[in-house]
Amino acid sequence: MSTADKFDLPQGTLDLLILRVVALGPIHGYAIAQRIQQMSREALQVQQGSLYPALHRLEYKKLLKATWKESETGREAKFYELTAVGRARLKTETENWSRLTDVVALILKGTLEGI
Amino acid sequence: MSWLGRLFARKRLENDLEKELRFHFESQVEEKMRSGIPQSEARRLTRLEFGDIDQIKEDCRGSRGTLWLEYLVQDIWFGLRQLRKSPGFTSIALLSLALGIGANTAIFTLVNAILLRPLPVQNPSELVLFGDGRAQGLTFSVPDGKWQLFSYSFFHDFRRLATSYAGIAAVNSTQFASKASIAGSAYQTTHVDFVSGSYFPVLGVPAFLGRTILESDDNAPGAGPVAVASYGWFQRHCNGDPSALGKTIRIQSHDYTLIGVARPGFSGVTVAQSTDLWIPLSMETEMSPGQNGLANKFYQSLQLIGRLKPDVKPAQASSETNLLFKQIMRDYLGPQPSQKHIEDIAHAGVELTPGSRGISPLRASFSLPLKILMTIVALVLLIACANIANMLLARGVARTREVAVRMALGASRGRVVFQLLIESALLSVSGAVAGLALAWKASILLLQMATPGPAPVPLNLTPDLPVLAFTLGLTVLTALLFGCLPALRATGIEFTPALKDGRGSSSVSARGALARSLIVGQIALSVLLLAVAGLFVRSLIHLTGIDTGFDKHNVLVFSLDSSTANLPHHSPDEIRSVHLQEQIESRVQAIPGVQSDSFAFFTFNQGSWSDLVLFQGVPRTPENADPVFFNNVGNGFFSTMGIPLLAGRTFTAQDTQNSPKVAVINESMARRFFPNGSAVGRRFAVGETPDHPGEIEVIGVVKDAKYNALDEGSLQAAYFPCTQNVGFYGSFAVRYASGANRREIIARVRNSIAEINPNILVDGVTGLDDQVNQSIATQSLIARLTSFFGFIAVFLACIGIYGLLSYSVARRTSELGIRLALGAQSRMLLWQVLRESLLLLIIGLAIGIPIALSSTRILKSLLYELSPLDPAAITTAVAAVVVMTLAAAWLPARSATKINPIQALRAE
Repeated sequence: MSTADKFDLPQGTLDLLILRVVALGPIHGYAIAQRIQQMSREALQVQQGSLYPALHRLEYKKLLKATWKESETGREAKFYELTAVGRARLKTETENWSRLTDVVALILKGTLEGI
Repeated sequence: MSWLGRLFARKRLENDLEKELRFHFESQVEEKMRSGIPQSEARRLTRLEFGDIDQIKEDCRGSRGTLWLEYLVQDIWFGLRQLRKSPGFTSIALLSLALGIGANTAIFTLVNAILLRPLPVQNPSELVLFGDGRAQGLTFSVPDGKWQLFSYSFFHDFRRLATSYAGIAAVNSTQFASKASIAGSAYQTTHVDFVSGSYFPVLGVPAFLGRTILESDDNAPGAGPVAVASYGWFQRHCNGDPSALGKTIRIQSHDYTLIGVARPGFSGVTVAQSTDLWIPLSMETEMSPGQNGLANKFYQSLQLIGRLKPDVKPAQASSETNLLFKQIMRDYLGPQPSQKHIEDIAHAGVELTPGSRGISPLRASFSLPLKILMTIVALVLLIACANIANMLLARGVARTREVAVRMALGASRGRVVFQLLIESALLSVSGAVAGLALAWKASILLLQMATPGPAPVPLNLTPDLPVLAFTLGLTVLTALLFGCLPALRATGIEFTPALKDGRGSSSVSARGALARSLIVGQIALSVLLLAVAGLFVRSLIHLTGIDTGFDKHNVLVFSLDSSTANLPHHSPDEIRSVHLQEQIESRVQAIPGVQSDSFAFFTFNQGSWSDLVLFQGVPRTPENADPVFFNNVGNGFFSTMGIPLLAGRTFTAQDTQNSPKVAVINESMARRFFPNGSAVGRRFAVGETPDHPGEIEVIGVVKDAKYNALDEGSLQAAYFPCTQNVGFYGSFAVRYASGANRREIIARVRNSIAEINPNILVDGVTGLDDQVNQSIATQSLIARLTSFFGFIAVFLACIGIYGLLSYSVARRTSELGIRLALGAQSRMLLWQVLRESLLLLIIGLAIGIPIALSSTRILKSLLYELSPLDPAAITTAVAAVVVMTLAAAWLPARSATKINPIQALRAE
């Protein structure tokens, strides 16, 4: 569980990442963890301990819905997909996120120049 | 899925969660194996990466949003299991809670019904009562002091002039109980209120059916021969059939048309008095024939209720009311009032009191007793709480290990406290449910015991919203009260020693201090409660020891109703009523076993009639200026009641309607008017300034007898023969030989009356002794209740002490065993254990006795000839507490001396 070359996700970011990954199509929890790891070029490793509570929370908030389907290995797995609410939420959250990062970047850059 | 659905789908959700995580785990293992790691190593690594799988599950459950509910359900099941595991503790706790909460709810039910509940009318808070609503009856006096009863004329004159009120309603202060017949059916007792035409509109009570009484029914004497029924009466007698409207109701040979039914729930403005029919005041003369009730300006028998205008302050209304009151009264006295009357009016006034809760004679007499009882049951509940807290503390120590294990396994302190509180809540909720059931029955029983009589007092005691809210609040409060400290104490432990020792030695001393102070409190409160009980019991003993002046044994009192017998009223023919009585008297006299019998206006505690008298040749002095209480009696009255004659003679057949007027007076009256001589042969008349001075001759003097209450002082009394104050008097007293068959005599008396006139109905029969007991029913109920609760309190305190000492002896088994083995004498050990409880007892007494001495003062008005500091009552209370505490301490102390040293040492 070494996290030396990784960093902690800011609060709420995991939910956004999950929504983004699930938006690509029905997917089970293990695949979500792998996909985040791949897409971040191994920079992010999501712990099961935070992934599953987050999935269940999003399901409880009706942003995700889940169905049991046969997985690629032939075993039954719980597949998550976005609901309409989830899709809308992903859109607004993504916009919020990019605005936030733009603003933060702007300020950080400005500060550096002022040093 | 709703959270409730999730809760019930819990099993499936748990399986799904397990399956989902298992899938993840297996997939991860397979991936590792694909990269060449052997299976066992792959599993080990994955398990490491996963971390605490149970923690993940718990977090997932947490994000489901139903965790709190799951905890709750778990805790309730766990709590129930825990409680079932210790049936002794559970049953004692439940019993004391059921009793405590039940007693509080029962008394509160009465408090709510008698003292708190508002009238079911529109905006009751706008209503004001003229006077405090305690006076009932009829008075002709010129007002002096705070005035309560008003005449019909006053009502009309006042209403015309007053500007502070949106309306004023009048109702007769005494309810008429009369026989009524609907459309020719059998006569049944009916309670009638005479009301003004403004009554229903002012109160804002609409008709359920038909219409209510209107001003036009009440604008001239005899104008409104109509009746409005209460919803209850309508259901009982007309089966709720709307076609009953328009039917004729016959009351005292007058016919009234049923015009409407009042809204359900409304049964008049007097608490604990239920009205069947309302009839306009304009018809009052028909019900009280011969009395000029509507025209006489001083025929004062009405109670007035006003509805203030929204913008008028009570103080404003009060000053206007008093001004008008005096003005109208001065007017009534005519152009040349006497100096005394002018002074009286100057002193007179009307006190406006809040009318939202209606008129309640019960409120005045039960207010203080109910408040005292409420305090007492609250204290009992407090003691019960202390006791349960103490038992929980002991259990907490016994469960130290369990709690320590749970907390070591990761349960948060809050979670454990919550679980322990749930156990307390389970106890108090079950106690409350049992208590509520108990209270419902108990409050009805209490009311019956407090107000005994043939018919139950009509007071709705069904638990309503305020009562349920009270009980719920009480339940939560008690659970917190007895649950909080033990729960916090149980979880505030240090882990390591608790786990090592398993017997929680580290928290023992702290627990001990808390437990001890709870017991000191219990002892102190027990002393207070027993002292109160002792005072009430001693007061009751004084009351029952009072010489009534008559012989209450072997006398039956029949109450007779003549309203359907069509007897003449206020006509020369009225003497027929007296002849009818004499006929009954002589027929009953002939029944074997009957010694004597007599009709009377009153026997004892049946009401009163009083006025001033003036003797010829005796000036009015402060000694004789008190009113004299009158009674109209048959010739056999004094022998039937067993009132001894001291001088002169009693009434005989020679005292007739046309013979000179005579009276028998009592000793007090004779002594006050003639301190030095005989009263026999002297002449007097009734009234402040009698029209026919000296018209009545005193023919005899009898011993004093109680008139209306056991605790009344020595009243002046005069008895007149029925023949000279004609009328039919409802009380018929029969003295029978001791040993005669009472039931047979009752049956034969009923038969004799029916044979003479079948329309004279027997309403009820009681023994004169029961009548005396009923007059002190409230006092005896209070004495019984306070004793009961006092002993419950001491008993609970004893359980507490017994528990504490047994526990401490059990803990010290090895220490005591060693002492015994080293040669300590068992008497020494006994003393050592007893010493602890003696100390608690002494501190408890030191706190309890001063509290008792300083707080019993508020009981003063309820005690008969007894100081609230009565040494006997307080000494008895202290002695009872001492004896019971020592007994409770003795048992565990003795078992300490019976310890077998060998076993004690081995046990360690």
